[in-house]
Amino acid sequence: MEENKEKLEDMFGQLETVIQDMEKDDVSLEDSFELYNRGMILLKKCNKAIDEVEKKVLVLDEDGETHEF
Amino acid sequence: MKNVYTVKQVNSYIKNMFTQDFMLNRIYVKGEVSNCKYHTSGHIYFSLKDESGTIACVMFAGSRSGLSFRMQEGQQVIVLGSVSVYERDGKYQLYAREIVLDGAGLLYEKFEALKKELSEMGMFAPEYKQPIPRYARTVGIVTAPTGAAVRDIINISTRRNPYVQLILYPAQVQGEGAAQSIVKGIRALEKAHVDVIIVGRGGGSIEDLWAFNEEPVARAIFDCRIPVISAVGHETDTTIADYVADLRAPTPSAAAELAVYEYREVKESLYAYEDTLRRLILDQATRERGRAEKYALRLKLAHPRQKLNEKRQYAAELENTLRGRMDTALTREKHRLALCVEKMKGLSPLEKLSRGYSYIQDEKGKNVRSISQTEKESVLTMFVADGKIRAKVDSTEKLEYPGKQEEEKRFGRE
Repeated sequence: MEENKEKLEDMFGQLETVIQDMEKDDVSLEDSFELYNRGMILLKKCNKAIDEVEKKVLVLDEDGETHEF
Repeated sequence: MKNVYTVKQVNSYIKNMFTQDFMLNRIYVKGEVSNCKYHTSGHIYFSLKDESGTIACVMFAGSRSGLSFRMQEGQQVIVLGSVSVYERDGKYQLYAREIVLDGAGLLYEKFEALKKELSEMGMFAPEYKQPIPRYARTVGIVTAPTGAAVRDIINISTRRNPYVQLILYPAQVQGEGAAQSIVKGIRALEKAHVDVIIVGRGGGSIEDLWAFNEEPVARAIFDCRIPVISAVGHETDTTIADYVADLRAPTPSAAAELAVYEYREVKESLYAYEDTLRRLILDQATRERGRAEKYALRLKLAHPRQKLNEKRQYAAELENTLRGRMDTALTREKHRLALCVEKMKGLSPLEKLSRGYSYIQDEKGKNVRSISQTEKESVLTMFVADGKIRAKVDSTEKLEYPGKQEEEKRFGRE
């Protein structure tokens, strides 16, 4: 869980960087291909991070147990 | 009778003294409400009294926001205002800006004291504020399980992003034990490793909100390693919890908006990124392809075959020229030959033989042109038009041919 924290934000930052790099005039085709691949992998990860499973509200009780609200 | 002043001069002198007085400009006065009249204009006229006396008070309609309850005779209140002179009556009165019930006044003092203390300890300092994660996946909520606050938070959260996990710690938010309950909730959610915590409740009186002004709650928020958004009461209510929280939301709904990112927006920006990436790579590929094509053309032009073809063509041209020249030369020579043949025909000895002349040879095959070349008994061969005659010389005789002499003479003369 700790690992997943901020990941989306980081990935967005990385995506921005990738796109900025690709927008440079002097980027070679090989490099831009590499960048593109990296961007697509990041996008895939982002999509995974958004994990589309609808969540029910949970209630945390005194004993640290959770159950549905 | 020196120094006589008008009433106006005296009243304005006194008024001036009041307005210049630091203390009277902002003063808390406590006492019991009496003669309270709510005027139709919105102004409230009343007196404050205690066992020793009374002071006239007025709260103008424009200051009514400083009063959150209906004032009644006999209430113990604390009035914040300024004391000034009403010149028309020559009376001083208290112009009220805020009025609180006396019990609440005590709370207010406690609030101010704790705020000052915690502030001096640096607990409100911006450097301790933790950033709120933009993409929280689990959001903890410490609030009452019933009531508008939790409903608002759940509604807004699920509308913005149904995929974010909400974990509610049902806390007691007012009354005895509320502060401890809130503290427990914050700690429990911290242990549950949520990404951000909302601590709050709906609106209420200062007593209702009091738990959020207590030091244990403030400390729990401060110590919490997970970012905390406070959302207590309405926009105008500010509690200690709001000062110490990493972010203050004006209402529980606003807290939900701050804690939960909008799914649609993020999805859209992902699509936008994807589009941009695709467009950039395609652009790049097109650009590179264009370059490659340009090079291909240049390479084609530079290919040796091209040079070879050029040379080959040049050679062919040369060959043509050569052949042309040769033909011309040949034709010319042929003509010359034909001319010669014609001439030769004219010069042919056969022609002469057929006209009756003969060609004579001696035994050695030498042409005999003079009688001196032969003698009696030598054999001569005579060629005539249809053959040759072998004859023996019988005799020779010298002859003078007419005309020949003349010719010779003529040549000789010349």
